[in-house]
Amino acid sequence: MDVVVGVADLKVSNRPEHVLVTHALGSCIGVAIYDPEAKVGGLLHYMLPESSLDPGRAQENPFMFADTGIPRLFRECYSMGAQKHRLRVKVAGGGQVLGGQEHFQIGRRNYAALRRIFLKNNVLIDQEDVGGCQARTLFLEIASGRVWVKTTDLLIKEL
Amino acid sequence: MSLIPQILRSLKNLPPFPMVAQRALLLLNRPEVSIQELVEIVKFDPGITANILRIANSAYFGLRREIHSLHQALLLLGTQELLKIIIASGANRLFANSAPGYFSDGQGLWRHSVSCALMADLLARELTLTERTTSFTAGLLHDIGKIVLSLFVDQKFSEIMSLVESQGISFHQAEKTVLGIDHAEMGGEMARIWDFPDRLRSAILHHHLGRPDAFADDLILLVYLADLLVLMFGQDSSKEGLAYNGYPEVLKHFDLREKDLEKILLHFGSVWKGAQVFFGLVSDNHDLQCAHRG
Repeated sequence: MDVVVGVADLKVSNRPEHVLVTHALGSCIGVAIYDPEAKVGGLLHYMLPESSLDPGRAQENPFMFADTGIPRLFRECYSMGAQKHRLRVKVAGGGQVLGGQEHFQIGRRNYAALRRIFLKNNVLIDQEDVGGCQARTLFLEIASGRVWVKTTDLLIKEL
Repeated sequence: MSLIPQILRSLKNLPPFPMVAQRALLLLNRPEVSIQELVEIVKFDPGITANILRIANSAYFGLRREIHSLHQALLLLGTQELLKIIIASGANRLFANSAPGYFSDGQGLWRHSVSCALMADLLARELTLTERTTSFTAGLLHDIGKIVLSLFVDQKFSEIMSLVESQGISFHQAEKTVLGIDHAEMGGEMARIWDFPDRLRSAILHHHLGRPDAFADDLILLVYLADLLVLMFGQDSSKEGLAYNGYPEVLKHFDLREKDLEKILLHFGSVWKGAQVFFGLVSDNHDLQCAHRG
């Protein structure tokens, strides 16, 4: 059963029939983490890098931002029995329009924010599919922990 | 190139532009619009009032009172908002067919068009431009060329996409190379056949800023920017992804910084959630991707 993760949204599950899916990530980023022993997984879809942009909004919905959403993703998985050292971490999205390196860079900043947070917390990314001008749909199968990315030209690949 | 005659021939079968929307477009540049004029327009289409009331009562407007009539909608929302609703309700029929060349699901083009209309409206407000209704309408109709070009793009999709990938050019440039015409030009042609107001036609024709003189009109730049921001927001299942050119000149023109773009996206997120009722106009039986937590 597909469980849709909307824009600025998080879903966590340990039910093997669930496939968590987030559709058409543009410059947003999807983070899928999974503990193969506890068979717990979570999928976060955040829009923007930093909650300092609008702290009030971040309090209302922490999943909007990398710095408030990512800690919640991990914490909610821990609360369902996941352990940090077992987690597999996969990341997709952060697309960019064509052009220079200085403008319309929300995708890049979204990814940079994630790297900073992971570095500070000793989290390694196992697989990623970020950047470029693709829009991506991201799937996490709770039964197996497998992750797929569907890109704009309808190719599906496993991450 | 050889496809052009065939593509232009397909315009011979172009259906008429929905009458309600056609008549509403004529009111766009008028400073004052009366309720009688709006009622006159809407009465040609009995189904449309129901849609108008649905939208007027939706979370998008967040009114505390329920609206039961056009008169009431006019009083509570004002003519300009009502005009936007009428145009969206009237035009949606045009988008009833899927555009498989561009979108991987049936409502993709309509969703993208509405998103772009809402974004253009939001931008016009943020930038304190006066033509909000025109901006909304131009955003809604900017991609009408895709309705006709979709079949041809579908046939040649992998060829177009491989040009995008190998040469790093934008999707509409690759379209032009492979088909001889791109969806903006096609839209401009349709707007001419349908007798759209000139500025609207020009916003449709130039929304990818293919020509230098396109930079001279705020409306064109606004639609261009709205389109780009909607692609960045995602959610519309477009197959071409973000393969369009980002022109920093446009940001400079509107005095927008990167942080401002983030704020606009943040704001758009709430608008978009409240506006799901617009998306539903084309098909009610489709599962919308608006899942909330819990």
